[in-house]
Order: sequence, then structure tokens, then C-alpha cells
Amino acid sequence: MADTIPLAEAQSLVARARAGDFGALEHVYRAYERSVYTLARRLTKTPEDAEDVLQETFLEVCRSLGKWRGDGSLWGWIRQVAASKALMRYRREKLRATEVLADDAAAGSTVDVPLRLDLEAALERLPERSRAVVWLHDVEGLTHEEIAELMGMTASFSKSQLARAHQKLRAWLGEEGAGR
Amino acid sequence: MSGERHATAEELLAVRDGEGSAWAKAHAAGCAECGGELYRLEQVRSQLRALPAFVPPRDRWGVVAERARRERRQRRLSGAAGLAAAAALGGLLLVAVQGTRPDALQAQTTLRSAMARSQAMEQVLQGVDPDARALGGEAAGAVVDLQRRLETIDARLGDPAQWGNDPASQAQLWNERAGLLSALVDVHTTHVAYAGL
Ligand SMILES: [Zn+2]
Repeated sequence: MADTIPLAEAQSLVARARAGDFGALEHVYRAYERSVYTLARRLTKTPEDAEDVLQETFLEVCRSLGKWRGDGSLWGWIRQVAASKALMRYRREKLRATEVLADDAAAGSTVDVPLRLDLEAALERLPERSRAVVWLHDVEGLTHEEIAELMGMTASFSKSQLARAHQKLRAWLGEEGAGR
Repeated sequence: MSGERHATAEELLAVRDGEGSAWAKAHAAGCAECGGELYRLEQVRSQLRALPAFVPPRDRWGVVAERARRERRQRRLSGAAGLAAAAALGGLLLVAVQGTRPDALQAQTTLRSAMARSQAMEQVLQGVDPDARALGGEAAGAVVDLQRRLETIDARLGDPAQWGNDPASQAQLWNERAGLLSALVDVHTTHVAYAGL
């Protein structure tokens, strides 16, 4: 997703926000609410969770926009905040151990799934962590190293998660699935 | 086909991402099956990127802004309270050394902490960016009103006949002054005129 606020404008907005100008903060919210909510929807289980992430992310933005160094893209920084809020949720829910098991069980059963799913449904069907890796890497363009740091795993584990997720998507989408 | 095996999904993804090994790149270029799979992986990525964005079902800005403002106010107040406590402790030590009577000591402490609170709020107000100050609408009206009340307080503080030798009423004036300064900071930073101040 592209940054919707040019860098120079972002820098002046942040300067105003630091001085306590809530109008500047609202401008930042309006510019990124959809991107943050979309990312949150892909990284959490329910729309309600995603709304919570949206709220937590922008509260954090209000608190610490001053920490943005102003060199990289503002969206890159906000995305980092949003991803860590979203991933923190399922770390908190302690899904990790059970998810690995569910993941392995699902991997065995993918071969004989008869129905063809559309991409949206197939993505939805991926285990949460695999979906997060696919989304952060293929859509948001994060490196495996960045994903590893966010999710508390190694880069090579992120790579193998991505490969397994794509194998599942392939099975669920069918041979022509990708050609549509 | 080069080599005796096909490339793995992980190897092909690395090629897709521009990080593949020389072997995998060469193999994908020469093997119809792996070349097709590489193309498919690129297609899936494009399709994922083309999925429509989700629209938040409700506007959350009101909740976020309200909580952020409350946090800021609390931080400011605890900062001012900290300064006041330090000043009060300083005053306590000073009068203790001087051996003042306990009730007078209490009054002095209250006065000092009220003055410190006012000074702390004065500093916060000075820290508000001039560009961010409320200059228009209802908020500007509130600023004018608050400044007028502040001038009245300052005039009373400048006239000892108003409070005589009574540290308690003097402290009350300083506390009122701090409250007005705090309200001014709020109006400037939020541009909202609070009722009842
Ligand atoms: Zn091959």
C-alpha cells in the first residue's frame, strides 16, 4: 500500500502534532484509517479485533508520533505500530502452540479438498500466522527479517511459512485459480 | 531442465522476490513446470495486492482523540503535582529549620505548593506552540475570557490588601491561577472551549 501523505507534508503534520494540535493528528488518522484497518483485518480473527487494533494503533500514534524520525515513510512507521498491535493480540491469546498443531493437521488435509475457493476465502482459511506472513510479505512488502522480528521467530521460519502458505493457496485455488 | 530435481516452493519464492540462488534462477528459466509455478506465484501476489481495502465500520477518531487528550491532561497534572510536591518538601525543610509553629508551617506548605503548581502550569503554557494556539471561533472567545480572569487574579495577588497576612487565602488565589492556566493550556491544545471553567 502506498503512502498517502507526501513526506514533507507528513513532517509538518508531525511537528504540529508534537505541539498538541489534534487537527494534525486527525488528518493522519483520516489518511491511514483504511490502510490500518485493512492490515488489521488480515492479521486478526474478527472484525471486532481489527477495530480494536485500529483504535490501539492510533492511540499509540497520538502518544508517540514524536518518535517517528521523519526520514522513512510515515506509513511504514504506522504500519509497524499496527502490525505489532495486531500480532501482540494473538501472542496474548497464546494461540501459538495450538496453532502449530492445527497448521500441521490442515496441511495433511489440503490435498483432497474438492472445492475451489476464491482468493479471499482461501486467504481466510489459512492459519492466522501463515496469513500474517503472506500478507506482510507479499502485500506489505516486509522482508523476512522484519517479519521475524515482529513475530518473534527466525527469518528462515518466516520463509518456510510463506512457502507452505502458498502451497495451500495453490491447492485451494485450483490450477486455474491464479489465472483468473 | 537443468539439474536433476525441480525447485522447491521456497526456492521459487526467493527467485520471485529477486533473492533466488543462481541454480534456482537458471532452473526456473529452463524448466516449463517450475517456470509455470513461478509465474503462478507472481500472479497470486498481484491478486493479493489487488484485493479491495476494508472500510472501518465505525469512525474511531472520537474515541481515540478523547483518550489521548485525557492521557495528556493526566501527564500534565502529575508533572505539575510532582513539581509542587518537590517545592512543598523544600518549603517544609526550610520552615522546619526555622522552627515555625505547626499551623503556620502547614499554611506555608500549602501556599508554596499552590505557587509551584501555578509556576508549573505557566511553563506548560509557554511550551504550547504559538502556531497551535486557538485563534478562532468559540475557543478564541474562551481564551479571551480566561485571560481576563487571569489578569483579575494577578491584580489581586499584586495587592497585599486583598489577602493580608493570610497564607491560606493567598494559596487559594495561586491555586485559582493554576486552574485558569491549566484551562488555557487545554483550550490551546485541543481548540475546544470547555464549559464550566
Ligand atoms: Zn523444475
